[in-house]
Amino acid sequence: MKQEQWNGFVGGKWEREIDTADFIQKNYTPYIGDQTFLQGPTGRTKRLMEDVNALLKLEQDFGGVLDIDTYHVSSLLSYSPGYINKNLELIVGLQTDRPLKRGVNPFGGIRMARQACEAYGYKLSEKVENYFKYKTTHNDAVFHVYTPEMRAARKAGIITGLPDAYGRGRIIGDYRRVALYGVDRLIEAKRADKLAYGKKTMTAENIRISEELYKQISFLEMLKEMAAAYGFDIGKPASNAREAIQWTYFGYLAAIKEQNGAAMSLGRVSTFLDIYIERDMKNGILTEQEAQELMDDFVIKLRLSRQLRTPEYNALFSGDPTWTTESVGGMGEDGRTLVTKNSFRILNTLYNLGTAPEPNLTVLWSDELPESFKKFCAQVSIDTDSIQYENDDLMRPIYGDDYGIACCVSAMKIGKQMQFFGARCNLAKLLLLTLNGGRDEISGVQIAPEGKIFEGQLNYEEVMQAFEKYQAWLCSLYINTLNVIHYMHDKYAYEKLQMALHDTEVHRFMACGVAGLSVIADSLSAIRYAKVFPVKGESGLIEHFEIEGEYPQYGNDDDRVDAIAVQILKNFSAELKKTPAYRNAEHTLSVLTITSNVVYGKKTGDTPDGRKKGMPFAPGANPMHGRDCSGALASLNSVAKMPYDCCRDGISNTFSVLPSTLGENKEERVENLSEMINGYFEQKAHHLNVNVLDRTKLVEAMENPDKYPNLTIRISGYAVNFHKLTREQQLEILQRTYHERV
Amino acid sequence: MREYKAYIDSLYHGSALDGKGLRSVVFFSGCNLRCGFCHNPETLYIRGKEITLEELVSRLIRYAPYIRKGGVTLSGGEPFLQAEFCKALIQRLKEYRLNVCIETNGYLLDRDMIGLTDSIILDVKNQEQPIADCLYAFLDACEQLKTPVYLTNVLIPGCNDDVEHLRALDSFRCSCSCVKGLKFLPFRKLCIQKYEKLGISYPYIHYREALPEDIRQAQSLIRGDI
Repeated sequence: MKQEQWNGFVGGKWEREIDTADFIQKNYTPYIGDQTFLQGPTGRTKRLMEDVNALLKLEQDFGGVLDIDTYHVSSLLSYSPGYINKNLELIVGLQTDRPLKRGVNPFGGIRMARQACEAYGYKLSEKVENYFKYKTTHNDAVFHVYTPEMRAARKAGIITGLPDAYGRGRIIGDYRRVALYGVDRLIEAKRADKLAYGKKTMTAENIRISEELYKQISFLEMLKEMAAAYGFDIGKPASNAREAIQWTYFGYLAAIKEQNGAAMSLGRVSTFLDIYIERDMKNGILTEQEAQELMDDFVIKLRLSRQLRTPEYNALFSGDPTWTTESVGGMGEDGRTLVTKNSFRILNTLYNLGTAPEPNLTVLWSDELPESFKKFCAQVSIDTDSIQYENDDLMRPIYGDDYGIACCVSAMKIGKQMQFFGARCNLAKLLLLTLNGGRDEISGVQIAPEGKIFEGQLNYEEVMQAFEKYQAWLCSLYINTLNVIHYMHDKYAYEKLQMALHDTEVHRFMACGVAGLSVIADSLSAIRYAKVFPVKGESGLIEHFEIEGEYPQYGNDDDRVDAIAVQILKNFSAELKKTPAYRNAEHTLSVLTITSNVVYGKKTGDTPDGRKKGMPFAPGANPMHGRDCSGALASLNSVAKMPYDCCRDGISNTFSVLPSTLGENKEERVENLSEMINGYFEQKAHHLNVNVLDRTKLVEAMENPDKYPNLTIRISGYAVNFHKLTREQQLEILQRTYHERV
Repeated sequence: MREYKAYIDSLYHGSALDGKGLRSVVFFSGCNLRCGFCHNPETLYIRGKEITLEELVSRLIRYAPYIRKGGVTLSGGEPFLQAEFCKALIQRLKEYRLNVCIETNGYLLDRDMIGLTDSIILDVKNQEQPIADCLYAFLDACEQLKTPVYLTNVLIPGCNDDVEHLRALDSFRCSCSCVKGLKFLPFRKLCIQKYEKLGISYPYIHYREALPEDIRQAQSLIRGDI
């Protein structure tokens, strides 16, 4: 079925079946040159940004939320079309009828929606309340099934951040399909799949899939209608670059209207869009300036994406993030780079529009990337602190060359794989639970099977033996809890539009996670290499630890302790796999805390490494604050040892270095940062958030937020506006190690 | 084969301030001088850890992926005090094609060691006495062996930032063509805590730290004299 919109494209398998990756491989133009072709913002872009900046300022002045529509339930057709400034916009579409006005999405749970409204001085309308009075939400359903043990573990905070009251997110629709095929063709393909399923035996799973396909088709129809309200017929494929961006954006927009998932990532669109831009340029209907202008406008829209959250949610995921993650660059399996001019253009939006945390620009780094692109990325990091890096050479052999990153570090083949987000459990607390015989060290409640409370000098072997028992208990409980959550999410808050932009046969991951890796590694190292004595309080529980002697600390490239961290991850991952996951999902594990390292720390007592009760953990797989003192490279080397093979959902490292440590001038800094990233990834490390900044600047920004309205920093798999963090989180960031050679 | 051993204070991986590019730095223990403004007093008064050559090599080559465009810097303390070890170390590092730079006070001359290294950072001491004659001899050796030298000088306001000091420094700089540059290092008092920890008084406590203006001014005075 050749379409006239495809004129000028090289044909192939992608014409006969839905296969975006095949289309990209046959049609994209690798770019190995430098950034000198890039264009600055046009007068139009600047004017539009003035409007946007005024709105953002207002949003901040209003306490973080500009307005809430409490009358409608957010979905594809709930609101009339919205614009920032209709005459100036090249790419259109807003989540509600006005920019930054947030919709309510109670499908995850009505209580969360109600509390979020109230937190900002609004009241959820009677209409919405009544509608949900007789409707089971995902949150209701999960709690109908939760066992007392699950509730206790959740309450104690040994498992936290579970997506049982909000959208699970971390699903990437292949939004590019909307542009390449048009919605009509996508509907046709899903109808054919549904007919095929109708011919199978009607088992529970096949009935469920048939019903899901029904929902997918009806939401694709709504997607078409949503675009029509803006005056576009997206039934047909996009015929030029502007349409390709617009169609792709409509796909994404529909997803964020329908779902309030924690992370609603974009995928890997820039190189795909480059194909349309190149074609238009060849046809003489688009200039470089116009191409940049389209990308700028697209990114402006992405920056306005908002979800309504409660303040408690913000404590976990601080700074109002949406994780509109866009994966940029990488290499193709055939050895050609997937870097195109549009990879540069999307990074250039950070200059044209000013720095910003979203979209979450993620560079897929390979040793083979063109040098000019590596240098440009390093320069962007130094100038903006707004991008992160992930190891393409590590992921490509597993996921092929058309994967994207969901949220911070979760890789998946776009349109072919999805994940069940499983938040994380607290390893440091699990160790304390072990030492306290199954009792929560803070509340004293017996949440796990009863065991002995440790006394006298802790013996490493004995502690490990007991730890393994509690680990087995927790892993089984954790997977079972996640199974309940995701069964109910599929049932009551299924991602209809996003899954319509996936193959019907989709591979699922059960994405588990751990927090407190450096705390438990250092604690076990202290037990093994120093002398640690638990000291009990009046309640009979261990209140603190006395440490005699020194012990090797994680973050100094010392195998004695780094090997302990590796072993913990291997054991935990193996233990998780013993309990089957819902829908035959493949178990994966992440070492990622987002910003919950602060909350986790708050809920955890004194630990044997000398950390005091309530003190924040280090984020992700980072060494503990200030303990990595053998230089930046030694710190990187420790984290690089953490095995991606058993942590396929990602290993996050957030790294801060002083500009002066990287070199005396810009040129040196760019070169040295690029070498640093290269060396790190060459050792099979997975992820690196890079901040090149001075702690004093952050202190100043804390005291005079108005002076740095756009100060963006990478914190844990994402970036935030520094001033949107809570005071507590700002302080934690100041405590982190800023690698400095003095 | 002889087993080489040395005393080192510490290793630091990831400095861009101790020579070209990203570098791993070995801080050797022990120094032949006792400068009152020393920034690393722990290398003077503490014996350090004993380490074998192979142990040190194996620790350094872990950083090979990062430092291909940079290298390893031998610093201290004074590396020339442990010259036999250093020479063996440089030869081993050369097997991994790593660039080696030595930071030294230039008082101890070892022609073989100068010949082996890729470059030298010579920190010129003129704060407590005039530039010593032996430093001229050191430079001569570098000149003959074609080893490039980068000069540094800790600039202490009110001590060595006057015209006379700077003129003498400049004439030292111009005495050999192997000198490729001169950089002033601002005097800082960040090391006070190290002195406190060692229980030693810090003789330069009353001097003020050098500011960017001081550095600029010193540079302009030197430049004017070329």
